[in-house]
Amino acid sequence: MSGLPVSALTPSPTSSSDLTPTAPRLPAGAGRPVPPDILDRLRSIVGADHVLVSDGDVEPYARDATPLFRSRPGCVLLPATTSEVAQVLRLATEHGIPVTPRGAGSNLAAATIPEHGGIVLVLTRMTALKEISGDELLAVVEAGVTTAELADAAAAKGLLYAPDPGSRTVSTVAGNVAMCAGGLRGLKYGVTRNYVLGLEAVLPTGEVIRTGGRLWKDVAGYDLTRLLTGSEGTLAVITEVTVALLPMPAIARTGVAYFPTLAHASRAVAGVIHDGIVPATLEFLDNRCINAVEDFAKLGLDREAGALLLFGDDGTAEAVERSLAIMANTCEREGARGVTMARDIAESEALLTARRCSLPALARLAPITMLEDATVPRTRLAEMVDRIDAIAARHNVVCATFGHAGDGNLHPTIVFDPADGDVRHRAEAAFSDVFDTAIELGGTITGEHGVGAAKRPYLERRLGADQMALLRRLKAAFDPAGILNPGKLGS
Amino acid sequence: MTVAGPQGAFSQPEQEPDPRQQPDRKPELGSGSATATPRGIFDPQTLSACISCGFCLPACPTYAQTKLENSSPRGRITLMRALEDGRLDPDDPTLQREAGLCLGCRACETVCPAGVKYGELLEQWRDHQWRGRHTPLVAGGLRAGVRVTAALAAGGLVRGAARTTGPADPSRPHIMLGCMERSLYPGISKAVLRLVPDADVPSGQGCCGALHAHNGGSVEGARLAAALGQTMPGTIVSTSGGCAAYLDHQLGHGRVQELSQFLVARWAADPSSKPRLRPIMIDGRIARIGLQDSCQLRNGMGVSAQPRALLREIGDYVELPSAGTCCGGAGTYSMLQPAMSQAVLAPTMVQAQEAGLDYLVSLNVVCQRQLATGVKRSRVPVQVIHLAELLERALGD
Ligand SMILES: Cc1cc2nc3c(=O)[nH]c(=O)nc-3n(C[C@H](O)[C@H](O)[C@H](O)COP(=O)(O)OP(=O)(O)OC[C@H]3O[C@@H](n4cnc5c(N)ncnc54)[C@H](O)[C@@H]3O)c2cc1C
Ligand code: SF4
Ligand code: SF4
Repeated sequence: MSGLPVSALTPSPTSSSDLTPTAPRLPAGAGRPVPPDILDRLRSIVGADHVLVSDGDVEPYARDATPLFRSRPGCVLLPATTSEVAQVLRLATEHGIPVTPRGAGSNLAAATIPEHGGIVLVLTRMTALKEISGDELLAVVEAGVTTAELADAAAAKGLLYAPDPGSRTVSTVAGNVAMCAGGLRGLKYGVTRNYVLGLEAVLPTGEVIRTGGRLWKDVAGYDLTRLLTGSEGTLAVITEVTVALLPMPAIARTGVAYFPTLAHASRAVAGVIHDGIVPATLEFLDNRCINAVEDFAKLGLDREAGALLLFGDDGTAEAVERSLAIMANTCEREGARGVTMARDIAESEALLTARRCSLPALARLAPITMLEDATVPRTRLAEMVDRIDAIAARHNVVCATFGHAGDGNLHPTIVFDPADGDVRHRAEAAFSDVFDTAIELGGTITGEHGVGAAKRPYLERRLGADQMALLRRLKAAFDPAGILNPGKLGS
Repeated sequence: MTVAGPQGAFSQPEQEPDPRQQPDRKPELGSGSATATPRGIFDPQTLSACISCGFCLPACPTYAQTKLENSSPRGRITLMRALEDGRLDPDDPTLQREAGLCLGCRACETVCPAGVKYGELLEQWRDHQWRGRHTPLVAGGLRAGVRVTAALAAGGLVRGAARTTGPADPSRPHIMLGCMERSLYPGISKAVLRLVPDADVPSGQGCCGALHAHNGGSVEGARLAAALGQTMPGTIVSTSGGCAAYLDHQLGHGRVQELSQFLVARWAADPSSKPRLRPIMIDGRIARIGLQDSCQLRNGMGVSAQPRALLREIGDYVELPSAGTCCGGAGTYSMLQPAMSQAVLAPTMVQAQEAGLDYLVSLNVVCQRQLATGVKRSRVPVQVIHLAELLERALGD
């Protein structure tokens, strides 16, 4: 147990009444180079070709899709098997070396930034699609399979993998689980959490555990599957995922409604739910987003509209017909200036693809795009949208908003040029107000993108001190040496 | 080895900042020692356009092979930034390796919602990376070699290609004689003359400069392109996707048209100019034809429907799954990076065999040579042919 700090083994001394922020618990090797003899042992575990150490080779792993964050790891490992992962973790715990798990690095919360150096453990070589079962309605995949690969393989067998994050072509299934990713079908189908049946995961101390499994009902013990879902790589490394599939709906259709403002679109969303419809998709974009997306996708969207609502549903032909007609009606009632239906699947797909591109397309407007993820109860959506506008105006920042309207999940995105004076501080101040407003309206600071390093300073506002302390105790139970993604959740 | 320490970029273990005062967003300082001023290698606006979303990862053939962030478009842009900001030494071996390992196929550009001009960044990168002693031997040799071939051809010393017709007549479309094409595949320009009988073949044509620009000589490339533009005022028809896309960029949109683009537009505008095309027959049945897109043409110029439309007219067209993916020829790539080049080509060979193709059509002589070498090596019974020559066969005698 050389190098294992004593402090790492005892739970954080924070008592529930202690309101002062606690210093994060860090492993002994935080911020130190990985010793050469350890590197040799790591090479013998995963193979020399799968250990990157030179400055240039590790540089691209210094960041993820979050702007303004970067920190270079000491080395990057790409294991191929669960057993390799276990050996690496055991060694890291023994020597107190930080380990940051990483999938595709597409998260937007700086959750994979190795702030304290050490090892970045990349799971993209574990890409086996182990099983797709129509009889059991489930799939078993290794950590590094992408969301789209899983969904396509399921679709080829007439099955639906419902979670549909905008990053689906890039993000890994384990990354989705670790962030509990949402997506474009959240309203009717829920998010990743609702589809994870079981996990194979490696504890920081090297034990391989299997939580849940292939059963739809199983209440033996704490629900560790759910605990690991959304744990952001701080409790265990996920190596295999078993997910639930659904029969593929007979048809899926999409329509577009244009509104004078985002608030109008929000009222239409409330109207749709009020009418008793729970459609698969209700996504909105404001005018700036419409224009950025149109610049890239060239679909002929109405560039003059203040807001666009993308609505869609799937199911039997009859049910979809009915649901789309009601939604179109509601949109018109709420002041839509135009409603059009996608003519075919290709057109529907093009619309959804365009929506998925909103964030990167906004990057066309300025060098930095800083996006947030505030979520409010659906009934407060219109109010939240108006408050965001007011906040942006008050702090004098350019804000474009899009989001999963049906889930009350907003992505206000501030675009700016860092050369432009103190704009970054204004952007940060604006987001701080956005978080406060979301909480005030009964919402949260992040609906689906997670906390990571980016939202860490705001987490206590949402959870309160008692829960923060519990998070630390949980973390310590899983990770006595504090090696997994140190500095993030529970540190 | 530098590692972000407790005093590194973001971590402040001792004092957690008051979130209200100091949200935990720190500038991109990072752990490498950054020089204060940028090195000026890249156009700052182009370099800052990428937001690292990763949408380009699935499109990149080299990432598909390695699964390493370094050999992905996003990773390469991160490397370029580290070079620009001084976080990496200009001699860093990863920079050297990745500048060479990128195919320059620009597949990443077409899928990038942020509109990052990766092709331009790569030119700027190689200009810097492949200066002086860092120029890969073959790239330097080729840059020089192309110059020689061009000079020979300009002097009329390379035989077999369509005969030049003197100075360009601005009222007629001009057939451009690609440098490699006129020596390696002289039949192509002759075939074009039969498809576009009113074209001329201006003498004194130099090289278009694309090869230079893609191999660390963008200034020389631009100069050559401008000179070629002056030699041939009016519409230039090119049988090489690579040359066409480069000239399109350098001389302005519309000056240069790739053959399929030119023919489809012309025959649609004036159906009487269209010759009768007969289906290509093999053993009494209609030939099965596959296509290999030219990356520069598809990703740089957005031309992909035209060659398919033409091939559908003359045979049983089969879309290979890899038709739009780089074949690994990529200018000088097959010589500079033989191993990766073969790995990237491999799926196309398997697919051509499975599809039972008679012909595999190329739109660029570099692809043509790559495919021809590939079918020979893997013994796939398919004939590799340039679009112009297959269309010529459909004309009959
Ligand atoms: C353009 C764009 C659109 C997006 N749209 C959505 C959206 O609609 N909905 C949504 O929810 N998110 C969205 N995201 C965010 C992001 O794609 C998701 O968070 C995704 O789940 C991250 O997956 P990843 O494989 O990239 O994980 P990474 O970014 O590599 O990692 C994310 C976290 O998971 C941990 N982790 C990764 N792999 C493992 C593992 N095997 N075991 C344990 N921990 C692990 C990491 O440590 C890190 O904390 C979007 C991102 C972009 C860039
Ligand atoms: S190049 Fe474009 S697609 Fe690729 S990471 Fe950058 S912004 Fe995203
Ligand atoms: S040009 Fe081609 S090989 Fe190079 S990064 Fe882009 S997609 Fe990859």
